[in-house]
Amino acid sequence: MNENLFTSFTSPTMMGLPIVTLIILFPSMLFPSPGRLINNRLTSIQQWLIQLTSKQMMLIHNHKGQTWTLMLMSLIMFIGSTNLLGLLPHSFTPTTQLSMNLGMAIPLWAGTVAMGLRTKTKASLAHFLPQGTPFPLIPMLVIIESISLLIQPMALAVRLTANITAGHLLIHLIGGATLALINISAITALITFIILTLLTVLEFAVALIQAYVFTLLVSLYLHDNT
Amino acid sequence: MLQSLVKNVWIPVKAYYTQVYQEICVGAGLMGFTVYKIRTADKRRKALKALSPAPAHGHH
Repeated sequence: MNENLFTSFTSPTMMGLPIVTLIILFPSMLFPSPGRLINNRLTSIQQWLIQLTSKQMMLIHNHKGQTWTLMLMSLIMFIGSTNLLGLLPHSFTPTTQLSMNLGMAIPLWAGTVAMGLRTKTKASLAHFLPQGTPFPLIPMLVIIESISLLIQPMALAVRLTANITAGHLLIHLIGGATLALINISAITALITFIILTLLTVLEFAVALIQAYVFTLLVSLYLHDNT
Repeated sequence: MLQSLVKNVWIPVKAYYTQVYQEICVGAGLMGFTVYKIRTADKRRKALKALSPAPAHGHH
């Protein structure tokens, strides 16, 4: 039973060839960019959503921070679309793999830190000591702040991985329980099925929220450092 | 084909990759270094495990 539960998270292969790259590239096919002034309905809806999100997310930044708009918008579109596609049955979600989320988190976080150290060195080093700390506490607080800085990429990656993986596992478990309960007691199976429906609605929300949180945190780290 | 690739892909994103994303490229190098370290450590662990055929939790 354990074997069946985790096999959906293994790297997918088709006849022995790994197709995980194709699966990662697939959501980009769902976002056409025809380059016309006035597009069809699908493209117009997507453009409107992207404009809404980018305005809401990039207004807090100054000019230098707003150069990251393309990166952050691509990030939120990729994570959101990948998470939502992962809710289809029997599909593979790349964001359940810690390797992929670390690969997204480490360069972006290191980019914000490097940008802060490069452009405003004194101000970015000053983030290690909050204002108004008593003098004897300073060494410990610097250590605590530097640990909290170094843990940021780990937290970003593990948060996304754990949330999506846990959601998928819960859906697997409750779906299996529903199937097993049908022959035993139909009413309990119905209750479990209602739980499954509610859980799926929750997972839709989680998919979008996790994308938003990831991007928002990267944007906050950027704001601190520009 | 290379020329059309350069014209259609590289020219629009040249400003990004040369100026804006410099620090991200440094971060990507850091990530590549981490991946390399993890992979070699795993290879070393697998080689060590293959070298010693005795089971780990066999005899107490």
